[in-house]
Order: sequence, then C-alpha cells, then structure tokens
Amino acid sequence: MLTAALLTVTVFPMSESESLIKMQQLMLRYPTGKVALSGVSLAVNKGSFVYLTGESGAGKSSLLRMFYGGLRPTSGQLSVQQWDMRSVSEGDVRELRQRTGIIFQDHKLLFSRTVFENIALPLRVQGWEKDRLVPRVRKVLEFVGLGDRLWSYPEALSGGEQQRIAIARAMVTNPPIILADEPTGNLDEDTARRVLDLLMSLNNHGTTVIMATHDLHLLTSHPGRLIQLHQGSLVGDSYSGAGG
Amino acid sequence: MNSDIPDQIDPRLPGGFQLPPFGIHQFLALIIVCVALWSLGTVWLGLQGAQQWVGSWQESVRLHVYLPIEKSGDLKKLNERLSSLEGVASVKLISREEAAIWMQGWLGDTSLNAAEFSRQLPESLELTLSSMEHEFLFSDIRDEAARFGGTVNEDEVQMAHAHELLQSIQNLAWFATLIIALAMAMIVSNTLRMILLARADEVHLMRLLGAKEWFVRMPFILEGAVLGSGAAILAWILLWPLVFGVSGWTDGIGIDLHPFALLLPLLAGGALVGCLGAVIATARLVSPDSVDA
Repeated sequence: MLTAALLTVTVFPMSESESLIKMQQLMLRYPTGKVALSGVSLAVNKGSFVYLTGESGAGKSSLLRMFYGGLRPTSGQLSVQQWDMRSVSEGDVRELRQRTGIIFQDHKLLFSRTVFENIALPLRVQGWEKDRLVPRVRKVLEFVGLGDRLWSYPEALSGGEQQRIAIARAMVTNPPIILADEPTGNLDEDTARRVLDLLMSLNNHGTTVIMATHDLHLLTSHPGRLIQLHQGSLVGDSYSGAGG
Repeated sequence: MNSDIPDQIDPRLPGGFQLPPFGIHQFLALIIVCVALWSLGTVWLGLQGAQQWVGSWQESVRLHVYLPIEKSGDLKKLNERLSSLEGVASVKLISREEAAIWMQGWLGDTSLNAAEFSRQLPESLELTLSSMEHEFLFSDIRDEAARFGGTVNEDEVQMAHAHELLQSIQNLAWFATLIIALAMAMIVSNTLRMILLARADEVHLMRLLGAKEWFVRMPFILEGAVLGSGAAILAWILLWPLVFGVSGWTDGIGIDLHPFALLLPLLAGGALVGCLGAVIATARLVSPDSVDA
C-alpha cells in the first residue's frame, strides 16, 4: 500500500549553498549507551517539504530535536541554518530556536492561557511591541482558519483546532524552517489532511518543512521528499509525488 | 493593542517583566512572611524603645562621681586617679556655674535661685567611658571615689549595665534577623518551587522558543520581590496597632516609638529576602531540551 502511494525518485539535485541543513556521518548516542542515530548523511534544501518516516524508535524525533539544539551530535557533522551544531553556543541555540517553528504531536499549548497568548508567546520572546501582537496573531489565525478563536482557551477547541493553533504558533514569527513532530498523530484522516494542507501552504510560501510522521497514506495527496530511517540509520531517501 | 482587545479580556503573556497571576500559594507565603517580618519589626521596635529608655542614643556612656565640698582639695588627685583607669576615656570637672545653669533649667519657671542650691552641691566629676569590657571597671571607680570620700551615681551605673545588656540583646536581634531572613527566603523559595512545577510546561515552551534565561526567570524573581515587599508593607501596617496599644505605657516612661524608621528596612529586607528565595528556587530550573542538555 505504501509503495503504491509513492513515486520514487532517488535523485536530489541540490547545490550546497541552498542547503538549510547538512549532516555527514551523524551519530547520536544517549548517555544510557543507546545509539539513536548512526552514520546519517543528508542535506535538506531551502523550501523543500521533507517527510521523516520510520518505525517507533527509528530516530525521527531525535533527529528533529538535534535540528533545534535539544540534543547535540555525539560525532559527525551537523549544520543547521549555518550553525555547526557540535560547537554552537547557548546564545546561538536560542537564536536558532527563534528562527525555527516547532510543532509537537501533543501540541504543547498552554491550557491556562488564551489562544492569543499562546500564539503571541514566540513574538514576545523575540521582543515584539505589544501593539503589534494582536494584528499579527489575528492574521496567522485567519490563515489557519480560526480567526474567531482569538480569545478562546485551547481546552474549548477540538484536537484538530488545537493542532492548527500549534501551527499558527510555529509560523507566527515567519521562520525559514518548521519542524513538525508527528503533527497528525492523534487526528482523524480528514483533520490530518487539513493540517497537512496548512503545512503545504506554508511550504508553498517558501518555508522549509520537515515533518516526522507515521501517516504515509497522506503522501498520496501531499507530495514531498521522503527520508526513511530504520534503527537509527538512513535506509531511504526518495521523492513521493501525488497521483501514485 | 487596546482597541483590538475586548473589554473583558486581560491578556497576560508569560516571561520578561510580566508578573504572574497571584494564587493561593502566594497568598499563604505572603501571610507567613508577613508574620515573620512583623515579629522582627516588633523586636526592633522594642529595642528602639529600650534604647531610648536607657538613654543610649548618646554616643558614649557617662557617669558622675561626687566628692563632698569639704574634700575639694582632693579633687585634682581623684581626677588623676580616675583618668588613669582602664575603660575611662575622659574625666571632666563640672563647674558650679555649669551645675547652676543645668539646675535652673531643671527647676523651670520657678522663682528659686539655682545658684544658691548649687553652692550646696558636692564637687562633681563626669566620666566618659570608652568601653565597659573591663570586668572591674565600676568597682574600680567606686574604690577610687571611696578612697577620697566620694560616691558614684549608682543609678547611672545601673543604666550603664542596662546599656551593656541592650548591646547583647541587639546582637541577638541581629542573629534572629539573619535566621528568620533565611527561613523567609526558604518559604518564598518553596512557594516559588511549587509555582515553578505548575508552570514547568510554560518554562519548557519558552526555552524551546529560544527565550533568554533572564526572560524565563524574571517573572519568578519579580514575584519573589513583590511577595517580600508586600509582606513587609503589611507587617509594617500591623505594627501600628501594637504601637497605639502600648502608647499609654510608653508615654509614661518617656519613650516615643517611631515605626516610620522601620518602613524602609522592612521593605528593603522583605524585597531582598523575596529575591533571594526566587534566586534559590530558580537556581536549578532545568527543562527537557535545555540548551545545555
């Protein structure tokens, strides 16, 4: 079923200058001794839409965490937005995170705060003036189709709406890259497709999207580069196209 | 921004200089810190009154040695002997004119002539003490005075002893202040730790969004400072009923308590202790995916 869904094109023509993320022989070993990633080499171009797939424990989430400085490589090379992640300073990691939108499977929304407060938080972290916050938040909420929920609390929203709020929070600072860790994991198929539509739309506006997912059936309608991991190793790097 | 926000909405964005909402934990900590500060305020107010009572607002302790008029010839010798004692800074002869002026002032608007009385007074030597650490100081003064037939003003000796006792009490008060301050800091710290646990997701999220550490910690430091200074103001206000309650007694013995003198020390101390508690609470504020993880 999976193979039928994919149009496999293994060639990735990309110039070094366009790469937003580059890694060479990347290895990650946890303090417990477990090797999460081993010998991973690949590059992610600006403006691409990348699916990270693999079984549970394959290293998808670990790889995503390394992209925002949550984990540091044990060995090998990893460069994210021109920062060498092995030697990057704390200040640079903060700057990198300010230039990265992150979407979590469990949303990580603050349930004691309004939708506005949740979405405005990244802007506040970046020092935006208060009078600019509401128009900006309203604009991104309209983009995700929840323009009327500015002053609602997340608990009053459905799972799909909460995930759209999480997308709005990730995109509100207009970052060059969005990392999404199984954003459709807890959603029904229709809602998952709508969430993916939003991510595709962001990608069409030039944002690089890297999304860890199990929902491979979504690739039929939403094409992108498919990176497959298995037990911490890269086992596939292909392109999935629509209509397969 | 105001025009875009409905009237009933009050957005409170976490981080930076935004004070977090005030809850039951903070209220309880405020009460406990207030009681502790009120106790300290009471101790220091009591010391203030006691110091007034023994006259220790003076920089040095003085006492008087009297020599009968018929022994005036020994005055110079007594002066020299007293001056040579360890712990005596200086000895001053009080002239009869000076005594008469003091007595006239003491008599007030009476028609009595103080000069007449002063002629009946014994010779008077005023001793300024440099230190009261010498164990036999007062005995030595008494012995020297007695050798020439003189006497010591024993009321002043008692005052000097009271002054000495007050010094010890003051040292104890400083010690108690330090201990209670540390206890208050721990109370504030524990309160903030509970709040930190409740807001762990918020802290984690702020760090994931690239917030600087000061931005993450500042609300808690502010909260500690506000909690401490709020408790201090409340404690200071609660000192007033105490002052009014004892005013009948203190007025009778010539003590004029000044709670205003305690406002700034309590406020500064409360804020400092609150900040200290917050710094202790946030010292190990670890999140998953921390920068240094």
